[in-house]
Amino acid sequence: MPQPLASKEASLFRSVIRSYEDKQYKRGLKSAELILKKNPKHGDTTAMKALILNAQGKTEEAFALGKEALTMDMKSHICWHVYGLLYRANKNFEEAIKAYKFALRLEPESAQIQRDLAILQVQMRDYQGYIQSRTAMLQARPQMRQSWTALAIAHHISGNPHEAENVLTTYEGTLKGTPARTDFENSEAIMYKNSLIGEQGEYERALEHLNSAAKYNLDRLAVMEARAEYLTKLKRNEEAAKAYRALLDRNSERASYYDKLLEVLDVPEGDLKARKAIYDEYAEKYPRCDAAKRLPLDFLTGDEFEEAAESYLTLMLNKGVPSTFANLKHLYSDSFKKETLAELAEEYLESQNADTSSKDKGEAAALYYLAQHYNYSLSRDLTKAMEYVDKAIEKDPKSVDFHMTKARILKHSGNVKEASETMDRARKLDLKDRYINTKAAKYQLRNDENEKALKTVGLFTRADTVGGPFADLLDMQCIWYLTEDGESYARQGNIGLALKRFLAVTNIFDVWHEDQFDFHSFSLRKGQIRAYVDMIRWEDHVRDHPFFSRAALDAIEIYLKLADKPSANGANGTEGENAEDSLAKKKAAKKAKKELQRLEREALEKQAKQDPNKASKDGDAKKKDEDPLGLKLAETSDPLGEAMKLLSPLLQFSPKNIQAQLTGFEIYMRRKKYVLALRCLNAALALDAKSPKVQEQSAEFNKLLSTASGISPKVLEVLKAEFKSN
Amino acid sequence: MDIRLLTNADLPLIQHANLENLPENYFLKYYLYHSLSWPQLSYVAVDVSRPKKNPYEYPKIVGYVLAKMEEEPSDGIPHGHITSLSVMRTHRRLGIAEKLMRQSQLAMVETFGAKYVSLHVRVSNAAARHLYETTLRFNNEKTEAKYYADGEDAFCMRLDLDGIRAKVNEAIAAEDAETADADAVDEGEPVGEVGRDPEADKKKEIKVAVGRGLGVGALVEKDESKH
Repeated sequence: MPQPLASKEASLFRSVIRSYEDKQYKRGLKSAELILKKNPKHGDTTAMKALILNAQGKTEEAFALGKEALTMDMKSHICWHVYGLLYRANKNFEEAIKAYKFALRLEPESAQIQRDLAILQVQMRDYQGYIQSRTAMLQARPQMRQSWTALAIAHHISGNPHEAENVLTTYEGTLKGTPARTDFENSEAIMYKNSLIGEQGEYERALEHLNSAAKYNLDRLAVMEARAEYLTKLKRNEEAAKAYRALLDRNSERASYYDKLLEVLDVPEGDLKARKAIYDEYAEKYPRCDAAKRLPLDFLTGDEFEEAAESYLTLMLNKGVPSTFANLKHLYSDSFKKETLAELAEEYLESQNADTSSKDKGEAAALYYLAQHYNYSLSRDLTKAMEYVDKAIEKDPKSVDFHMTKARILKHSGNVKEASETMDRARKLDLKDRYINTKAAKYQLRNDENEKALKTVGLFTRADTVGGPFADLLDMQCIWYLTEDGESYARQGNIGLALKRFLAVTNIFDVWHEDQFDFHSFSLRKGQIRAYVDMIRWEDHVRDHPFFSRAALDAIEIYLKLADKPSANGANGTEGENAEDSLAKKKAAKKAKKELQRLEREALEKQAKQDPNKASKDGDAKKKDEDPLGLKLAETSDPLGEAMKLLSPLLQFSPKNIQAQLTGFEIYMRRKKYVLALRCLNAALALDAKSPKVQEQSAEFNKLLSTASGISPKVLEVLKAEFKSN
Repeated sequence: MDIRLLTNADLPLIQHANLENLPENYFLKYYLYHSLSWPQLSYVAVDVSRPKKNPYEYPKIVGYVLAKMEEEPSDGIPHGHITSLSVMRTHRRLGIAEKLMRQSQLAMVETFGAKYVSLHVRVSNAAARHLYETTLRFNNEKTEAKYYADGEDAFCMRLDLDGIRAKVNEAIAAEDAETADADAVDEGEPVGEVGRDPEADKKKEIKVAVGRGLGVGALVEKDESKH
């Protein structure tokens, strides 16, 4: 029970809440103080004060006050709700859930607390809790469609599409009259239900439902794809073929439609002529379709391949399509196709030379194709590649593409400096194109020209972002830049900035994971259920992205070096290395200090220039970075602990990434967690037993088992039994 | 290049493509906002044949169109809007942008009843203007001064979608007729019939495509009439 207030104070309290909701924080605080003057131990008011302080960014003060409020009034749902909100703001979702549950026990009728709890539960993937909350919310508001949909989703994502379907069916039973054809929410609900039936493997019923309930559905593509799929599963091949043909007529650039069509037409895998005939049909029907002409190159062989390749290549080169090579290089894993394509390109080039009437377009395109051919890893001959690209440039000295490829060839020759210069030359040929600007900046970073690279990208970042180009890149979550910049700093021995960049990338993934929060309620309002479920499933493994693993592995590599070489003693390395190291370190420290001074100076200047009458747009919201150069990161006393924070998501989400397993072994060995190290080693062995690194680690582990120093006999026995390479 | 509907798992590489290609960038949540509000409207071109370097590699995005419906249209008419469209420089001249746009426009009409689609284009972006004006037949409605952050003006363009609407309606009518026939005979097989409609629809689109060559002429004519 909340502590009672006199009527004047009670109305003041209501105004505190109103002020908070309207973001009138100063006014809210003033009213709160007035109440507290008379009732200094009033829990609810103290809690509201804490909430306002938190909104003003005074996190610590708010938390202390929130706790105090609870001690004043343990029985108040407001105090507990606020306590939960404070935890939620600090991203401690588990504690927030606990607090909300207390609040709800005290005030079971509160829709707001129930909703806050439900959203956190689904965010945390507490499926059973979420089902419970959604059931309660449905009982409170059964007249709203959203309540039913939400409960269905809860069952669905918890792995029970059957129950989800039942919920939707029950709701449909309460509907009076048929919703309008243009009722989008209803249209989507039908398709959602249909996908649930399909997910249960009941294709007959799903098809029936599709044909009756989804006849005029607004999502035509989804209906057509579902129909084709169900018919295929039901082996109603003739109709399935019709359905896939309908899809191809809608979009003839979708490779999987052709595959499925061939499957339901029962075209034998080996009957290449019959297969080609299907593609030819569409190539003729849709003359501007690329897929129908290109895809047969994947399965054709021998003379038939050569014939088809020639006509495709000629068509592309005649048009001067710059992406011809990019479109064909996947065929190069077949050495016959690789050589045939090169021969065809050579022949084409010769025919162009002979034919004086031909336009230069085709000739340059062929030269360009061959330059890329000889630059590609599976057919590399960099001298030849350079010859061809130089000839191409001679034909068209202003071509960005040709210069770009030249830079790439130089990079493959190991000449990063000249590569960077050449890419910059390409950039200057088209200053309006950000793509070439991006490449130029990337090559500058590969050449460790960090400042120059920032200037280059700065030509396209928003000029009005506080903090300059880098701040803009960070705001816009520009992962490629952060990663390349970090790797460059790592090469230069600037551990602080390298860690800073890599952790900026992993932080972006935290943000992406949290981005789903608002959509738990948003999507119910919008009614786009299938897209929402798709997002939930993607967010569940968002950190398996190579963007994440690359930055995480880069950072761990640095932490491992830090762990092996504590700065105070250099007992691990030879003396010479130590002297060199310490010199490099001193240099880096000096450089870092200078950099820090420069940043401070710039910040000060900016502040001075700012119009004092205009509040800076995001100056208040954006917290000042206390460690812009990552010096504190580099000084960590627990590098292995820091590395663990990155290793856990790697092993959880990318267990098949051998680098993750190899790295896990290195960390666990250093931490003397031998069982876990062995788990990584066994996983790596299963992925690629022949890798030299895996063999090296196996040898190291064998040595450990034979010396067995400091391992209890019991553990040793387990390790020996579990070691897969024995 | 495969052309297909966008999924949420594509978003990091769409954002990456956008950052590589265009000066107007967005954080991931803005892409999520599109994919969770109008999931039918955004399309990607992906390189499906590319061999995977690691088991977790996502399909490489070589082009995308990010589209939406105008939430509160000032003219009260439901219409679509192209938020962002780009194709990697390495994959140009394959007609990818046009194909992405056509898929998106069809869905705008079918799913959301859009009457027209609008977009902004940099005055200086000749390639994009060519695509919109000549290939896709957008009309240049007006110039918006200093629309872009760097101070450049934008052309506001618009394409009427009545033509697509008519074809979609025709298709539905044809399907109704066929289903009715089939119903009389048996349990009804709307399956194959659906196929015919977009077929008819596409045939007409080919005419547009063929007329593309003529389109340039038509545009020139228009210019002459001005003089």
